[in-house]
Amino acid sequence: MEMLTYLFEALTPLNLLMALAGVVAGTVIGSMPGLSATMAVAVLVPFTYTMSPASGLIMLGAIYTGAIYGGAFSAILVNTPGTPSAIATTFDGFPMAKRGDGALAITLATIASVVGGLVGGISLLLLAPPLAEVALAFGPAEYFWLAVFGLTLISALSVGNTTKGLIGACIGLLLSVVGVAVVGGDIRYTFNSQALLGGIDITSAIIGLYCIPVLIDLVATRDPHIAPQPVKHRSYLTEAVRIALRGKFNMLRSSVIGTIVGILPGAGGSIAGLVSYTEARRASRHPERFGKGEPDGLIATESANNATVGGGFIPTLVLGIPGTPPDAIILGALLVQGIKIGPTLFTTQGDIVYTFIYGLLIATLLMLPAGLLLGRYAFKSISRTPKTLLVPTIAFLTVIGSFAIHSNSHDTLTMCILGVLAWVLNRYGFAPSPIVLGLVLGQIAEQGFVQTYLIGNAQGAIVEMFFGRPISLAIIICAALTLLYPLIGEHLKRRKDSKAGVERDITAAAAQPLTTCRSSAVIGFAALFIATGVGAYVETQDMSAMGAVFPGTIATLLVVLSAILAVQQLRRPRRQTLIAGTTASEAPGASNIRRLVTVIVLGAWALLLPVLGFFVSSWLAFVALTAATTFEWPDKKEIIVNLISSVAIVGGFYLLMSRVLLIRMPDGLFF
Amino acid sequence: MNSNNLKTMLISVAATTALAVASFMTTASADSYPSKPVNYIIPFNAGGESDLSARFQQASFEKVAGAPTVIQYMAGAGGASAWSQLNGMPGDGYTIMGINIPHTILQPLQKEVGYQTDDLTPVHYFHYTPDAIFVPTDSPFKTLSDLMDYASKNPAMVTFSGSGSNSSNNIAQVRFDELAGVTTTYIPFSGTGPAVTAVLGSQVMAGFNYATSGSNYGDKLRMLAVAAEERLPAFPDVPTFRELNLDLVGGAYRGVAVPSSTPENVKQKVSDIVSAINADPDFKQKMEDGGFVLTDITYDKMDDFIAAKTKEYTAVAEKLGITAKR
Repeated sequence: MEMLTYLFEALTPLNLLMALAGVVAGTVIGSMPGLSATMAVAVLVPFTYTMSPASGLIMLGAIYTGAIYGGAFSAILVNTPGTPSAIATTFDGFPMAKRGDGALAITLATIASVVGGLVGGISLLLLAPPLAEVALAFGPAEYFWLAVFGLTLISALSVGNTTKGLIGACIGLLLSVVGVAVVGGDIRYTFNSQALLGGIDITSAIIGLYCIPVLIDLVATRDPHIAPQPVKHRSYLTEAVRIALRGKFNMLRSSVIGTIVGILPGAGGSIAGLVSYTEARRASRHPERFGKGEPDGLIATESANNATVGGGFIPTLVLGIPGTPPDAIILGALLVQGIKIGPTLFTTQGDIVYTFIYGLLIATLLMLPAGLLLGRYAFKSISRTPKTLLVPTIAFLTVIGSFAIHSNSHDTLTMCILGVLAWVLNRYGFAPSPIVLGLVLGQIAEQGFVQTYLIGNAQGAIVEMFFGRPISLAIIICAALTLLYPLIGEHLKRRKDSKAGVERDITAAAAQPLTTCRSSAVIGFAALFIATGVGAYVETQDMSAMGAVFPGTIATLLVVLSAILAVQQLRRPRRQTLIAGTTASEAPGASNIRRLVTVIVLGAWALLLPVLGFFVSSWLAFVALTAATTFEWPDKKEIIVNLISSVAIVGGFYLLMSRVLLIRMPDGLFF
Repeated sequence: MNSNNLKTMLISVAATTALAVASFMTTASADSYPSKPVNYIIPFNAGGESDLSARFQQASFEKVAGAPTVIQYMAGAGGASAWSQLNGMPGDGYTIMGINIPHTILQPLQKEVGYQTDDLTPVHYFHYTPDAIFVPTDSPFKTLSDLMDYASKNPAMVTFSGSGSNSSNNIAQVRFDELAGVTTTYIPFSGTGPAVTAVLGSQVMAGFNYATSGSNYGDKLRMLAVAAEERLPAFPDVPTFRELNLDLVGGAYRGVAVPSSTPENVKQKVSDIVSAINADPDFKQKMEDGGFVLTDITYDKMDDFIAAKTKEYTAVAEKLGITAKR
């Protein structure tokens, strides 16, 4: 069989080496927030000019798939998705790591990623031409509803706190419209600042919203970041395989979702992860465990996001439509090599295409040994690194990540501001995830909505455009189910409970006495959000109709929801004790001064980056943060070790960024 | 440390510094330029037409210039964040940047973006991608006149997808409406990829995209007309708008710019290198196959070219109503 000969061509020692090197490099880069597959692939494109096309492509594909997988590492270990694809991985991965199951979580993520990658890759191998039609069947209306479906996850993520979750989503959606609008070309909410013209970068926002709060709380106490490895040595692989086998349907379903979402240009791994997470939660018998360290949640997102790699290559190779940014670069590399993309590619240049696909599959399999090794090492080193080095290193990674995307320190500042905001909001019950979801899905929702409206208006069929298309209808039904399922579930449970007796209700009520009291701070936030909503609405008066409709609607929603929140709070009884609601969860001995110092150092870092240069400002901040996390007066040896480590870490990353990844560094006073 | 050691160290430091300074001096002269890799900044994300054409250039750069080029990305605000920083970069010829029209003319007209059109120093505009009208292969519109007939009988019913608002595609659609005396609806998408996908999937009736799309999607799309001066070598059967009595020529022009502090002779040298790459048969073949139209607007012709384009697009901007409210 012809296809088998291509398999042997992919199995040459050189190609295997390329695949292994690519996977390892990709995993390492993907695990650092902000350093993306796109950067790594872009840097390596020139090397492929001199290689045989197949070897070059195999390496690029391996880096890409490795990076998507590597994003799970930082999601699990430091609550920050290394790539946006891993957003939903933080929901259950970090809680698992916190309770000491970090190594298990990484092993599970590895298995799920390999399975997802294989499903995506095999679909690419066998079904590419028919599946490519999916990309064409999705019009603006479908993208709009897909984004809405993603947003329904908020109702599941914020059970018992839905109003606050929805308010968070509105804030995220409003943040997503900042900058120059794709549709309509309006300049929105930039406050005449040049820095905001490009909008709020999603990656740096995610880093800020998820990672900075963790960092701020990390410096406050001397408790370890994540529970250390239990003394008794467990076989994580066997345990992970057992859990994975138990969740095999979940894994398969998520892989298929990931493949299909991957085919849709512009949707990408983050939506694939969110959609499959929602579906896994809905199908689970224990939906209440999701978000608290449920392995099934982790399996869903990690298998889905790696399936998007193979899925994304389907429209790239068949139609010449890149599904994701790395696909776009690989497409460019193919064109430079003189390869003609299109439906005939699989027949006329089958040798290159099939060798590449086999290479991708081999690279996916290689993730298993590479990932298990790297993963164990990563968890061990994170749980053993003393806080005095861990905190500045994580902080340094957040700064690198937010800076590297556009070589711009404005993004770093945005990251810091959003991070501090997220920390404050989180203390009053506004979780960061709804904000992130709004930010990620906002543009897709808005563009889909306005485009659908414009097309419908031109054809005099607005309602039909929104509600009359079969795929749209299917997505709407799924979204409605997700939205209503918790309510139905609650209703069924209540009926069961009322039969069993009322005692449970009493204990449940007693368990959460604090949240039922009025909080003047929350009322204050509600007032602030009402003011924000009104302000945002007033601004839309100067915009074109196309640019105003979305922010106007969201601003109105924000005002209404905030009013509801205020009323909910006012109906609660006044609290007798002091501000117990927020301080109750506080560990004893937490230091607010250290928190403040951390925030100030981060802010100064972002501001001084373009003035002093990247290395010098980073090293100064690194040392300052080491000092901020030092709880006992250190001896001389410790100081020297810490100083040497700081130079090594900062210098190493500086060289990686400026020399290897060729990221432009700011021209400061120093370097 | 004894004083002897210290002296040796000081001497070696001084020697290294002297060497570094000397090598810096030599790199600044135009005779030996380029003697090390040239940083080529693309003000957009990877994967677009700007990136692709730069990648084609990169493949021929070392052969022509004697030193390789390294492509870096600095995306943001539709290119404005890179262009607004260009003049602050070292003007030694080792930092060059991609530059685009109509972007660099329309952006400063529309808002405060941190640069003015005249602040930038393009040294060579090496190609443009003409706008073109596409329909899916199974569309009832076989020729442009089919589409124009339908559009004049059904005002606003024809939907054109295109890349972004106030973009080259959008301008082409507005001018097409004006020249043909019809009303169509423009649907902006977030880039060429999604806009072409919408045509392929028949989500819109037609697309105003770049001719480059014609080579990637082969037999799935039909190009009805192209906004070039003459027919493109890659698509000899596609008529120009002019042949159909519509005076529509335009698209996105791409060039290479340098920081304003770059010495005149280095500016000229960069312009010469880009010209030489344009003459490279390999490069020419790949670009023309891809639907790019090579232009040779060298440094000496630049002022006239920019003046003409500024006049042209300022008039269009007023028509679109996108000039800043001052």
